[in-house]
Amino acid sequence: MMAKSNTVSKFKQDNKTAYLLLAPIVILLTIFVVIPFFYALVVSFYDWSFYQESKFVGFRNYYLVLTDDLFLESVWTGLKFALMVVPAMLILSFLFASVVKNLSPRFSGFVKTSIYIPTIISGIVASVIFVFIYDYTAGLANYILGWFGVEPVAWLAEVRTALPSIAVPAIWLGFGLTSLIMLSGLHDIPESYYEAAELEGAGTWAKMRYITIPLMRNVILYLLVTGFTAQISQFELSLVMTNGGPLSETVTPNLYILNHFRNDVMVGNSIAASLLLFVVLGSISAVIFRVLNSEKAVDG
Amino acid sequence: MKTLTATQKTIITVISALVTLAALFPLLWVAIAGFKERSEVLATPFRFFPKRWLVQNYTDILGDWTFVQSMLVTFGGAVLFATLSLAVNAMAAYVFARLDFKFKGFLWVYVITTMFVPGMAILLTSFIVVNKLGMLDTLAVLVLPGVASAGHMFFIRQFYLNIPLALEEAALIDGAGRIRIFTGIFLPMSFPVFVIVGIGSYLGYWNSFVWPTMTITNPHLFQIMQYLYTFRSERATEMGMLMAGSALSALPTIVLFLIFQRHIISGIKISGLK
Repeated sequence: MMAKSNTVSKFKQDNKTAYLLLAPIVILLTIFVVIPFFYALVVSFYDWSFYQESKFVGFRNYYLVLTDDLFLESVWTGLKFALMVVPAMLILSFLFASVVKNLSPRFSGFVKTSIYIPTIISGIVASVIFVFIYDYTAGLANYILGWFGVEPVAWLAEVRTALPSIAVPAIWLGFGLTSLIMLSGLHDIPESYYEAAELEGAGTWAKMRYITIPLMRNVILYLLVTGFTAQISQFELSLVMTNGGPLSETVTPNLYILNHFRNDVMVGNSIAASLLLFVVLGSISAVIFRVLNSEKAVDG
Repeated sequence: MKTLTATQKTIITVISALVTLAALFPLLWVAIAGFKERSEVLATPFRFFPKRWLVQNYTDILGDWTFVQSMLVTFGGAVLFATLSLAVNAMAAYVFARLDFKFKGFLWVYVITTMFVPGMAILLTSFIVVNKLGMLDTLAVLVLPGVASAGHMFFIRQFYLNIPLALEEAALIDGAGRIRIFTGIFLPMSFPVFVIVGIGSYLGYWNSFVWPTMTITNPHLFQIMQYLYTFRSERATEMGMLMAGSALSALPTIVLFLIFQRHIISGIKISGLK
């Protein structure tokens, strides 16, 4: 595969063709990403309104956001949510991938296809399904609790259970892809390592501890970071399932921002909030990108 | 690897079957609930299968022209979106993978940086932009804003970088133009990467919800997720129909995935993870 030089430099530069083929992507990105981004940057310094003259207010919007308890709470909610979803999802899919790896090829093909299906389901449909599962009187969740003689729970209406209840569909949606990425990571570990370890008398646990986990480090790290950014940004599930309730217990940062967009007075605020969030999430994904890009360049 | 004993094999097979069933269960359940009688959907005690299998909910929702229309419009939009997206991003991917030109470094950074702008930060200002362009309530507002994607471009470029130079050198020496080489050599080889990126675009479009609710008010252009969301708040009592509609809305995606599943699943390997 290619090493450094990716361009056929021995052939002359071809500016015209290059610009012609690049024009669509550059124009579209400029109109729909770059301009809105700089526009947002500007608006974040204004007391902005659809209906009247905007006023320059400096960093006041940022100040207001950072001192708004509701925003800080939403960030905390987003963190709690990610902490519920990501570790659970990673552990489950790691264990499951280890099991699937040993299946006969025919059956594992079927399993891989099936577990991937939830990944392609929309947040809206997932929410509709899980709202029914959590239904107080007729839902599956309380029906199963009933087997053990436990009183029914108002899953989405109780402060204690609302956020974990939304975490479950998030895990369901992400489990398939995570497992398949784990599985392909497991397949990349040479079988000879395990054989050698077995000759030395290593048990299942030792093999996992000293071979599998260290060699899976990059995959797990990647999934951890992408998982965290994705889950902190989650808002569709809480929008549809609880609309942020009860008592804004399930308002994630993006839902906070979305709710404020609807409120004209708060537009500058919420844009400032989204830019603050952008700095954090954007730098995280920039780091991932650097790591992936550099590895690609190194072993090419 | 040590061969597993028969018991171990049975155990892992049973575990896998159970997990698979659990993963598919919510979807099966919603599809089956669509066959229940209206009063039975939320009846206690909970029953998995309907007492009587009725197609009423399915025929009702399919008889609702807004639903059918939004399925068709969303499908058409998604196919158009995926096609345009492949065209725009593949051209750029090819240029960045193979051509040498002035300002290459700058343009690369310009395009790639857009990848890190989260949608939520520009949601409102994008709305203002499309409003100023007079695009509200048109198909263009649904399709155009997402077509160019630095992420997809990057993914296709990684694939192009791995195509051996030797393949095009002969053609270049024979005097074939760059565009000829792109359409004649690169495009025909792009199938595996196009399946993954194309399905990704299709899915993103099909499942999108916030953007359509902001930009579309004309019911003729309602997108399917927007339809379901509106249905849920306006016709809250018709649970059976909502179940049937949700199941049907997932169907085209699932069929498409099943057609291309082998490419998609093997593609997870080439997504650049080590």
